[in-house]
Amino acid sequence: MATVEAPVIGITVLYFLAIIVIGYYSRQRLKSATDYYVAGRQVGAVVNGLALESTYLSPASMLGLPAYVFIIGYPFWWAMAAIIAGMPIATLLTASALRKYAPTSFADYYADRYNDERLRWIVGIVTVIGAVLYITLSIVGMALFLLAIAKVPYIVGIVVGTIIVMLYVVWGGMIATSWNAAFQAFLMTVAAVIAAIAILVKLGGIDGFYAAVAANNPKFWNTPSDPEAPHLLSGTWIAVIGWFFVWHYGFATMPYTVVRFFTTMDIKTARRSIFWCTLAAGIFYMALEVIGAASKLMIETGPMGGEGANAVAILKNYMGQYGVGVWTDYSMIAAVEALQNPWVLGILCAGGLAIAMSTAAGWVMVVNVLMTRDWGDMMLKSKFAKENPVLLARIVSVIFLLVGLVIAINPPGLVLDLSGWAFVVIISALGPGLVLGLWWKRATRAAMWTTAIVMTVLHLYAWLKAKLVLGHHAFFFLNDVIFGNPKALITPHQVWAIPVGFLLFIIVSLITKPVEEEAVQKYCVELTQEV
Amino acid sequence: MPWPPKVFWVGAILYYGFTALCWIAEATSGINHVVGLPFWYAAFLGSFVIPLVMSILYFYFPEKAEEARGGA
Repeated sequence: MATVEAPVIGITVLYFLAIIVIGYYSRQRLKSATDYYVAGRQVGAVVNGLALESTYLSPASMLGLPAYVFIIGYPFWWAMAAIIAGMPIATLLTASALRKYAPTSFADYYADRYNDERLRWIVGIVTVIGAVLYITLSIVGMALFLLAIAKVPYIVGIVVGTIIVMLYVVWGGMIATSWNAAFQAFLMTVAAVIAAIAILVKLGGIDGFYAAVAANNPKFWNTPSDPEAPHLLSGTWIAVIGWFFVWHYGFATMPYTVVRFFTTMDIKTARRSIFWCTLAAGIFYMALEVIGAASKLMIETGPMGGEGANAVAILKNYMGQYGVGVWTDYSMIAAVEALQNPWVLGILCAGGLAIAMSTAAGWVMVVNVLMTRDWGDMMLKSKFAKENPVLLARIVSVIFLLVGLVIAINPPGLVLDLSGWAFVVIISALGPGLVLGLWWKRATRAAMWTTAIVMTVLHLYAWLKAKLVLGHHAFFFLNDVIFGNPKALITPHQVWAIPVGFLLFIIVSLITKPVEEEAVQKYCVELTQEV
Repeated sequence: MPWPPKVFWVGAILYYGFTALCWIAEATSGINHVVGLPFWYAAFLGSFVIPLVMSILYFYFPEKAEEARGGA
């Protein structure tokens, strides 16, 4: 094991102890299946808001988004801004109505609104695919922070991280997950803010930071209207607008955030929790934007750099040394490492573990409710599931974490990339049925089925074709057919899929039989009144 | 037909309008080249202040309406 300074180990161990203690004590409050599934609907606004932040924002945020800023340049700040702005949008679009309805699982709304219990299967399948990919990504993220900062061997990192998440999810279900996620949100936000402030101080404040970044990379602050864009992927306004919208509506429709609306005390708490989430996440993202912008400069002028240093080459060396992920995964860590402050690094390690663990736990809670209650009890009519809901939910949690652990031992690059696909496919396949189901009386059962199936298959095909045939998943998958040029149109993460999903849903709804009036009245009209 | 409350559209116009104005100013006046300015309008306002104002609008006005109706 390489040398690592005491504050890094100390802070990391303290973090692990803290979440184990929170998990252990929260199990004493667990009295029923409702407590396990939705924390007894007793979570307050601050705790739920912070839990929303840490659950929604995955290692892809902490590692991936600063890396995108590093590569794509300043225009990517707007994609990050749109993610935060998507949070308040969800307040009145889905959160308030869903909390008024107070379901238990993510699939409840679909089954009731469209009056079709079988929808629990298709909603569950799409969600399970997303869960496996995200849990794997989160386990890899945990290990990557432990490896790159605390120098813990990768295999030890994935095992330790998975066991700790398993402990608190099994002990306290949604209660433990909520309290731990709130603590984790606080920690990851503080970690990013401390790192960003240290960078700004080093570079001489905001103006000094701007000037230093511009001197290091003259194209960094450019937009598509400037003669030279920072990167091909931010080279046109269509691309910038695409990045802006690609993750914008995720907060309103993703299962792991939607179920958090069910855990709050009431509709007022649900609304206020989004305020707390937006507050913490906004601060967190501002910090990540600064770190991402300064990454190249920090790496090239830090202890690993020097005269004529190249950040990409340095990061490729990192990756060669650690052998996990891709070189961009290390840009954020390397930028903070360049500060040469073990306390900042220790807090960053704990913050990185926090963001990864909270996302893994959040997804485990979504799927354990779906598989135990929806599939086991309601669809398969299992006596065991009915009589032992908490035990079965715990077993399902352990299985999903073990599956993630096994895949994470030697994670194929494609699996990690596919988590980005999963995010968009869930919005495009299940989002229209959720949003339009609430706000459009004409939304039909056939449209729900069609959109869920067609968008999952079409989007997988499009993503794979763009990535494997055209060369990058951010290239529009029909570029070669329509334009004869694989790079003609940049549509990040197939941003077209979301409008196409909504359009398909609307067209099928207009030509198919409406849902029974009683269900529409109850799950559309009444839920959206006075949200 | 159900329709989101007016305050939803106020927040949406505030955010999308602000973003559009920033992009227009970048494309026409190059404000992204004023030292330090992108931090203030894209990071501080775009990623933090304006979304936060939206989230306040989205709980304050519905709560006011509930109070006026005599509800919770």
